[in-house]
Amino acid sequence: MRREPLERLILPAGEALTLFAILVLGGLLYTAFGGSARDTLVSQMLVNAIVVLGLQVYIGNTGILSFGHIGFAAIAGYAVAIAAIDPAFKRVFIPEAPFGLAEVQLDPLAATLVAVILVGLVAFVIGLGLVRSGARAGAVAPTMITLALLFLVYEAARNFTDLTGGDRSGLSFGPGNSLQGRGWIYLALGLSILGARLFRESRPGRLAQAAREDDLAARASGIDPGPPQMIALLLSVAIVAVGASLRVQSLGSMTPNFFFFSYTLLTLAMLVVGGRKSVTGALLGVVVITAGSELTRYLASDAVSVPGFDWLLKEGLSDVFLGGAMLVFMIVRPDGLLGDRELGDRVLLRLRSAQPPPDATEPASPPSVPSTLTVTGLSVQFGGFLAVHDASLQVRSGEIVGLIGPNGAGKTTLLNAITGVVPASAGTVRLDDRDLTGRTTHRIARAGVARTFQNFRLFPALPIREHVEVPALVAERHRHGGTGPDPLGLLVAGGLWDGRERPAGELDTGTARKLELARAAALAPAFLLLDEPTTGMNEAESAAMIEHVRRTAGSVGAGVLVIDHDLHFITRVCDRIVVLDQGRVIAEGTPEEVRGDAAVREAYLGTSADRSG
Amino acid sequence: MTQLVQNLVDGLGQGSIYALLALGLTLIFGVMHLVNFAHGELITVSSYAAYALASRGVGWGLIALAVIVVSVLTAVAIEFLAFRWVRGASEFTMLLTSFGVHFVVAALLVMYVSPRPLNFPKPAWIFDTVALGGVTLELVDLVTIAVTLVTLAATGRVLRRTMFGIALRAAAEDFDAARIMGVRSNLVIRGAFALSGVLAGVAAVFWLMRTGTASPTAGLTPLLFGVIAAIVGGLGSLGGAILGGMALGLVQVFLRSWLPSDVAGLTEGLLFVLIALLFIVRPQGFVTVRRAERV
Repeated sequence: MRREPLERLILPAGEALTLFAILVLGGLLYTAFGGSARDTLVSQMLVNAIVVLGLQVYIGNTGILSFGHIGFAAIAGYAVAIAAIDPAFKRVFIPEAPFGLAEVQLDPLAATLVAVILVGLVAFVIGLGLVRSGARAGAVAPTMITLALLFLVYEAARNFTDLTGGDRSGLSFGPGNSLQGRGWIYLALGLSILGARLFRESRPGRLAQAAREDDLAARASGIDPGPPQMIALLLSVAIVAVGASLRVQSLGSMTPNFFFFSYTLLTLAMLVVGGRKSVTGALLGVVVITAGSELTRYLASDAVSVPGFDWLLKEGLSDVFLGGAMLVFMIVRPDGLLGDRELGDRVLLRLRSAQPPPDATEPASPPSVPSTLTVTGLSVQFGGFLAVHDASLQVRSGEIVGLIGPNGAGKTTLLNAITGVVPASAGTVRLDDRDLTGRTTHRIARAGVARTFQNFRLFPALPIREHVEVPALVAERHRHGGTGPDPLGLLVAGGLWDGRERPAGELDTGTARKLELARAAALAPAFLLLDEPTTGMNEAESAAMIEHVRRTAGSVGAGVLVIDHDLHFITRVCDRIVVLDQGRVIAEGTPEEVRGDAAVREAYLGTSADRSG
Repeated sequence: MTQLVQNLVDGLGQGSIYALLALGLTLIFGVMHLVNFAHGELITVSSYAAYALASRGVGWGLIALAVIVVSVLTAVAIEFLAFRWVRGASEFTMLLTSFGVHFVVAALLVMYVSPRPLNFPKPAWIFDTVALGGVTLELVDLVTIAVTLVTLAATGRVLRRTMFGIALRAAAEDFDAARIMGVRSNLVIRGAFALSGVLAGVAAVFWLMRTGTASPTAGLTPLLFGVIAAIVGGLGSLGGAILGGMALGLVQVFLRSWLPSDVAGLTEGLLFVLIALLFIVRPQGFVTVRRAERV
């Protein structure tokens, strides 16, 4: 696949630098006209920005709502405090610290590094648990696991007083033991922006975003969400740990309440108000929420008195503002101010729209070895109901096989069993001599069996282009040694080229189905399994779609298994037809043979004789 | 042996409270796929009603009634003001909406009532014990268990026998199908919130009797255990929620009684470790609810 250093590396890096410059210059400008209070505020804001960027890397890219990131921050905070504080101070706060930690003193930079490594190790273990729990966007289990971490760290910090100093005294830094000054904050902030922005464009970032948009569709495109989510988590907590270390060091002390519910609220509000899916959005949220908090705090202070509004302008207003901002944005604009837009999108768009379309007719190199997909005696049981019963069929490269049957015959279930979406209770699925039975969906996809869905499943917030480029990334690593079809050529062939930068969520049904087909084909599959690609289309559209399927399959050299329940129609396009009724294969053969079959007439045509032509 | 029986009753008493909360949470999840982290606000808000009445010497019979009424009103108000607008939104949006409600309610209470916890007198019989064949049991546990059983039986009757209950269960099974069959979604969702308010109100009465405290975060701890119980029991499963609540109460009490006293402060911490492990090993809970998602 074509490398795009300009679009995926240089431009985003420039954008990150610009964002950094805007924040730094804005902060300097603001402090230039104010006293030291403004100085502290800006420092705090920049440190918060680092933590929020850390949240963005995980929550934004994976869509998994983590409540534990501030728990990771607490671990980092304690690690830094315990490692860096002068033993003379520690003998006062925590004389009984285990492992002789009271006598340890690390250079603050080394202590920060220790914090990052420690948090990374904890996150790795938690991350394995998250993957094990089947974490996906919006799932509750990962939210609960991370929430448990937040509470666990909090309880431990309060109760394990030998190490943490507990609730009251906490741990305080002596002079000279910490990374003071704006320089370190600038350095960490710059690197965090760069890291978060480049992660969005990286391979694991893009795979995680696809899984965020639709977990099952991502798996069916050969993506295993686990590894990219783990990478996102590790990068994310590393950034959070750095931010937390700097926060503790600039505050000069550490107690359990520094990193608990109220900081979770603050950072999450910052993340979602600006737009969690975008780095620019996260930073915008930091600025907006900081300004809003300051304003409400000022209004609520004794310095301001507006007659008639005393009931409103009182202490606690800024917390109402934070919670209210989160609530109102979830109701009115759940994707935040910016959605997934970044600062440099216009430049990127101009660059990309100038790109000439690739030649759609350029034939991709079909696989040199023809292959066969063989299903033998497959059964699927739901409770006591046999949805598929002892079904066998075969598809070979280059042929189009129709799978037909009345509603509820088990067609989709059979497709789901072949692709590992539902488990088969008996039987085997083989691709040539590879046994695919019981494999996970993403492994089956990587082996060369791609599919579409009855109610199409796209990645709604991702641009159309991404739908073919992401499977191409998978194909590059797992298929045919990387000689798949040109993904952009597939867009041209599907008539999708002109809208390629638009989000897929805007597409009408017909176009969405074409895009789903292009996505499946971009995986360079040996077989395409299509679930009712023409549903909801009129005769002419259906004919065009089937012709398109035939051409697409031909260009990647794939065999096709296509479900439809319009017999009249499917006989025109298929080389062979398999008829399913009540979970069983009742007939198989050429369209003519199937039309003449008595069992088919009874089971199938009887219900739709008007269509039999 | 006596210790075991005492722990058992103690655990079931605690667990009853969690079970009532979990049942309400699971009902709401059934009708709108929302894990309602604002469910604890029902206890929080009603804790101030309890404070207002108890500190004026009103009897606990009246307080209980007031707490339940306030809880129902709060539940309906939260639905009307917040959740109504995010029906059908993504799970991410709904989760954060419920957290947003929690934070706003807590902040408003800090602003307009008091940032500090307010204590009120507990009922006179709260420390009374009952001796049964050599076993000393706390009266409050027995009352909690008995009232919970009655409440659950009544709820079961409502769910099985009334039109509303049948509609609610149908909606929990398959919301779209229920709507096509003529179930009015507005009514069912509001009804589910009101019913969850009743259940949380009963839970709140016993929770507040034990704690005797009103604070902006009074509902946080019971909420967490309620959510955990609901998920452990398999979100959407009514029986599972009750089982989950009882199991959680028992685990909590037995952990506290078995752990050596010098790590007693870590009981909660250890409980969270267990919970995290549970979600990792069995994220779908103990009672698996068949999800009607078609692909």
